Amino acid sequence: MPNGRVAKFDSDQVNEEILDKLLHRSRPRINEALRSIRRPEAALGIAKSPLGDLLVALGRGGLLLVHYLPSDKELAALITRLRSFFDPVEDRQAVQTVGAEVKEYLAGEGASLRQKVDLSLVATAFQKRVLHKLQEVPRGAVVSYQALGALAGAPKGARAIGNAMHNNPVPIYVPCHRVIAADGRLGGYGGGRARKLQLLRSEGFALGKADEKLPDGVIWGHKGTRIFCRTNCHTTARVDRTKIMFFADPGEAKQAGLRPCKICRPS
Amino acid sequence: MPATKLRLLPLPFDEIMRRHERELLRYLLRVTANREDALDLFQETWLRAYRAYPRLRPKSRVRPWLYAIAVNLSRNRARDGARWARVFAAHGKDPSMTDGMDGSDRRSCGNDGYATVRLRELVSALPRRQREALRLRHISGLDYDEIAEIMHCSEENARANVFQAVKKLKSM
Repeated sequence: MPNGRVAKFDSDQVNEEILDKLLHRSRPRINEALRSIRRPEAALGIAKSPLGDLLVALGRGGLLLVHYLPSDKELAALITRLRSFFDPVEDRQAVQTVGAEVKEYLAGEGASLRQKVDLSLVATAFQKRVLHKLQEVPRGAVVSYQALGALAGAPKGARAIGNAMHNNPVPIYVPCHRVIAADGRLGGYGGGRARKLQLLRSEGFALGKADEKLPDGVIWGHKGTRIFCRTNCHTTARVDRTKIMFFADPGEAKQAGLRPCKICRPS
Repeated sequence: MPATKLRLLPLPFDEIMRRHERELLRYLLRVTANREDALDLFQETWLRAYRAYPRLRPKSRVRPWLYAIAVNLSRNRARDGARWARVFAAHGKDPSMTDGMDGSDRRSCGNDGYATVRLRELVSALPRRQREALRLRHISGLDYDEIAEIMHCSEENARANVFQAVKKLKSM
């Protein structure tokens, strides 16, 4: 076959007009078919906050993701995880409301975290339950991994709680910074210890920059008896630690609905 | 604002459709036996692509990825079609009579119509990999590195496949 014929293969066999017509015809059909498998949209962007830049994703059902801006590699992994459930659309303005709320919150405005939280990026039912329970720990209080495990129905699952905290997609809003080691040491934090300290300080804990432990003045609150004590109250020596929550001061404990101990008389 | 970081965010899928629908449909119209098949595959390609889109790594190229889906789908279709064709042939109907163009198209090609149809037949008689490489190269004008990506082979291999295909066509 001569060269000209082969060139013909590459020539305009499919008429552009027909192509237009066919495209026009098939578009509604394709959109219709796509609609049933479309992932919901989520606004994605980087918000500025006093804790540094945050990667934020907001879905229709609420806040999906808040992440201290990680390295590029982690960022890609995060976005991939988000994309298997949502179609991200960049929207800096929507996202900046989250940054503004965090800023207010750190300035001491306790009720400023108004965004609803959507836990659909949480992988397992257990972790979802843990994070729900964690939302009940009020501002001004902290719990141990152990105690949170007991709350979520896994009294021996302190390590599993650690994993759940590590995989918390919405830190700050779901307060994983309020989870500490059972002996009063502060433990780690996904965004770094400095941020954990900063958050706890803004919630009323008197913590210095280099502190490793909760301050001595913390109040022990018992979930079962609903009584709170000083640390040096002799009842604290034999109390069931899985039922304890630590409060920054007696006021916070009272606000959580507990009454002062009659032996050590806090406050 | 470290906006640069969000360049990792991939294009919205609708934008990808807008950019590639034309060339993809053109390609499918020319590799399939008839228009309905082409439109079917066209839709199926977009559905598959949408499902798989989150798994496409941010730095990979979209075009070869899309073509790979289309090529695989049309290969499956051809295989299934061949099975059906055997059934139809048994009933005295020749499926090779259908082609991508209806009557009006062929008339617009004038006297070249015969050569075009004949060429289609010759191309479809080529070995699979040569045929696919040739079509990607000459229908859609893809680069050899893109073809290599689609066909999971080296660039040299893609080039060789196209070369062998053209050589065979010329000798026929």
